[in-house]
Amino acid sequence: MSNTIAKSTEQAPARAEAQPLAIRPRVDVFENEHELLVVADVPGAAKDSIDVRFEGGELRLEARRAAGPQGQPLAEEARLADYRRAFAMPEGIDSEKIEASFTNGVLTVHLPKSSAKRPRKIDVRTT
Amino acid sequence: MFSRLTDFDRTFDVLDELRRQMDRVWNDYEGAWGITRSPTQALTSANWPRFNVLDAGANLLVMADVPGMTEKDLQVSLEDGVLTVSGEQKAVAPEGYAVHRRERPALRFGRSVALPVKIDAEKVTANVKDGVLTISLAKAPEARPRQITVRASS
Repeated sequence: MSNTIAKSTEQAPARAEAQPLAIRPRVDVFENEHELLVVADVPGAAKDSIDVRFEGGELRLEARRAAGPQGQPLAEEARLADYRRAFAMPEGIDSEKIEASFTNGVLTVHLPKSSAKRPRKIDVRTT
Repeated sequence: MFSRLTDFDRTFDVLDELRRQMDRVWNDYEGAWGITRSPTQALTSANWPRFNVLDAGANLLVMADVPGMTEKDLQVSLEDGVLTVSGEQKAVAPEGYAVHRRERPALRFGRSVALPVKIDAEKVTANVKDGVLTISLAKAPEARPRQITVRASS
């Protein structure tokens, strides 16, 4: 009994370390006939930490917050933390052609639709 | 596999709601932190951007997340020990796209902070990088920390 309790408290910090608290960035999602466009606010993200993954129909955005200047905090209104958010994407994304860019703290991800999923006019043949 | 990911995301929904509640608590206690609201603010953004203020010895540092904004979108002014940050953020929808989700709002904002120490108004710099505005304010000489040497008297 006492053994299990000790075990669970040991595990708790390890799990917290594996998945630290993260902020869900605000996003806009747009679509036209060629692509889906995801725009996410990740101010202060460290450029080389930005991780965009597309796996199993899920788009996953992650970024670490770059370390800011040091000092004694006088007011802390904003919680500074890493960013993490995931979306289920519709079928038909050409995962090879996904492109992402980071400008002024905004992450932009272009997800082109595979040509098979674009609207296509089907010719009706007469026999 | 998918249900695990879904559950995981819901965990963060709960945390986000907690954060929103905490943010409301912060707003209620703004006065206690020396943050004052500008009277014009009710017409525009309620409390944006959020300020983090650091005391870095000789300087005060005021930082705010302003994603997507450049130096052209921001005005910073200092008057009678009150720092004001104002500007406008336009929500730009790309042309010819349908909108699925819109969480990044258009904002017109103006916020003021009463600074807790005297500032040398000539030595204020502001720069914006990767969506973070950093304002560095040099403390007036009389407000800077001073090291007092302790002498042994015989």
